[in-house]
Amino acid sequence: MLSEERRADQSALTEPASGRLVNPDVRDEFGLETIDMNMGPQHPAMHGLLRLILELDGETVVRCDPIMGYLHRCQEKIAENRMYPAVIPMTDRLDYFANMHNEHGYVLAVEDLLDVEIPPRAEYIRVLMCELMRLASHIPSIGFLLLELGAFTPILYAFRERERIQSIFEAVTGARMMFHYIRIGGVKADLPPDIPEKIWSFIEGLEKNFQSDFVDLIEGNEIFISRTRGVAKMTQEKAVEMGLTGPPLRCTGVDFDIRLDYPYSVYPELKFDVITDTGGDVEASYRVRIAECLESIKIIKQCLEKMPEGAVMAEMGRRIRPPEGEGFGRVESPRGEFAVHIVSDGSDTPYRVHYRDPSFVNMQLLQEMVPGHYLPDIMPIMGLVDPVSGGWDK
Amino acid sequence: MGTVLQYLDQEPLRFLISFALVLFLVLNLAAVLTMAERKVSAYIQLRYGPNRVGPRGLLQPAADVFKLFTKENVSPGRSDLWVFLAAPIAMFLPAALVWLVIPFAPDAVMANLNVGIVFFIAVTSIGALGVVMAGYGSRSTFSLLGALRGAAQMISYEVPLILSLLGVVMLAGSLSFVDVVIAQGDTFWTWYFLPLFPMFIVFYVSSIAEVKRVPFDLPEGESEIVGGFMIEYSGMTWALIQAAEFASMGLMSAITATLFLGGWQPPLPFLDLGAFNWVWFGLKTALIMFTFQWIRWSVPRLRMDQLMDFGWKVLVPITLIYLFIVAAAMLIFQEVL
Repeated sequence: MLSEERRADQSALTEPASGRLVNPDVRDEFGLETIDMNMGPQHPAMHGLLRLILELDGETVVRCDPIMGYLHRCQEKIAENRMYPAVIPMTDRLDYFANMHNEHGYVLAVEDLLDVEIPPRAEYIRVLMCELMRLASHIPSIGFLLLELGAFTPILYAFRERERIQSIFEAVTGARMMFHYIRIGGVKADLPPDIPEKIWSFIEGLEKNFQSDFVDLIEGNEIFISRTRGVAKMTQEKAVEMGLTGPPLRCTGVDFDIRLDYPYSVYPELKFDVITDTGGDVEASYRVRIAECLESIKIIKQCLEKMPEGAVMAEMGRRIRPPEGEGFGRVESPRGEFAVHIVSDGSDTPYRVHYRDPSFVNMQLLQEMVPGHYLPDIMPIMGLVDPVSGGWDK
Repeated sequence: MGTVLQYLDQEPLRFLISFALVLFLVLNLAAVLTMAERKVSAYIQLRYGPNRVGPRGLLQPAADVFKLFTKENVSPGRSDLWVFLAAPIAMFLPAALVWLVIPFAPDAVMANLNVGIVFFIAVTSIGALGVVMAGYGSRSTFSLLGALRGAAQMISYEVPLILSLLGVVMLAGSLSFVDVVIAQGDTFWTWYFLPLFPMFIVFYVSSIAEVKRVPFDLPEGESEIVGGFMIEYSGMTWALIQAAEFASMGLMSAITATLFLGGWQPPLPFLDLGAFNWVWFGLKTALIMFTFQWIRWSVPRLRMDQLMDFGWKVLVPITLIYLFIVAAAMLIFQEVL
């Protein structure tokens, strides 16, 4: 039996349910009860360590409480005790599918404090690496969506491409995931001479496979369409209200993209489109991700063509001691807006660092959208949000 | 093997030997199928698959079985132990029993029942019981959900499965597997998959649902209920469930090959291999099994409501309409034939 207040609470949450739920009165009349189900933190489809407390009415979810914190590592507090350059490797451990973007966001915030001129070649290399990173995140996220729908194969095609990107990263930065490559004032080192060629051949290979492996294989599938279309359908207002950014927001039709709306680095010099879709459901978010991959390829090509010669590191002292004040940097990570806010007290270490991670904010969608859907719909909704454990828990 | 059995007059002995043969066959088939599954999935997914144990990895099933024997059999503390332990047996036995009535070659059928098809329908229905027992005995929310899904799915899809078998029975005029195969003749255009094409498709789809494979693997639903009814099983009980799954997959392929693809009959008369006609049966069964695996690794999973809609609103009407057409055609052409 449900208590009176729970029922009131529940009707507020299950607004989009429209007709799927058993009427609570009917449920009480027949003495039917809901079951509580604990999904996670050890669960294969939870994108890391997420725990969902679900209340189920048969297969229908009545209530969904996401519990986070199983991967909390005090990243913000640790940053207060490390010198400015030494925080960069820590940012790699935030959203481990968007390491370059984390570094970039943090470095932008410090440079905002320092007021330093970045050499153009370094800026181009940063954008190049960030867009490769976006590919390395979007393509597996499409694979994960399919994996969670029960199709095991696309993830391996996705990881084949990610593996190629990682080998490029390895050649450039020396690491496959934890790069520590974008530094305050530039990047760690210039590109090795054979890298542009490697990236060109990778892009050629990707363009050849992309349509067949990630579009035709998936989009032409009736089951995929029926599992994703209309699932977690949001209006623009709802999406904005929930504070979503990135593909979950753009799939409702809001063309908000930090790269264009709050331009940073050399993005104003590059030509690309902001991808939006009108669906506002899981299928739309999939299409947005697919199209964004193609946009990233465009940006990578432009970067390679336009890349100027010159230094990759600004002339600056070895010791970084920003003046008192506040610095702010925001980048468009694959999952949405990644922002860093630093308060400096004029010493070697930041006084306070705050990360605004898109995984954490977009996760609000779960509590709002999951009730009223069936239990298996949670998986495509997770694919829509595409959160990363290291991101939401910091 | 059937030819040998013919000389055994003593019924109990014949039964024992038949059953031992079936167990031997089914368990080996399950082992071979696990290997096939891993290799097929590997080639679909740009991998190599198991290639370390034995020549080209062929001994992998043996290694798997050995590993499973060494595993501890854990049962949940609050589980209903007898139900929990009996469930894998209840799942495995039906899958093994039906092999008794499958004709491998003209004389190689262990029990030529005149109601073989009814036997098949009756015995496979028990499989749903095993799923419910496993889910109930485990006392876990995940397995309960899996069991409820499994029961609903297997019972629902039995309806189109049986209805599509009616077409075969009508055409062949017999409920015996052997008679059905003989009635199909030794030319591939007279096999029942052509005249009964919609029913062949319905039977094929329903049999995927019956053996709980993607896109109908909701009782397992590994991404949401993580294995469903078998989540609490480990060691040999788990192995038995897996063997049951693979055995029933092999069984459904064999039944499809027997009823719709002409069983042991060669596709063209001059391809008749005489005593080796069981090769044709094996090839057809293997082909169906391969398509099962192909589908398994290519498509996502349906949702429960979509699954039910598909079963009741698409498969059942198609079969009923086509059943009517077949009946009408038989009535009209009776004089011609």
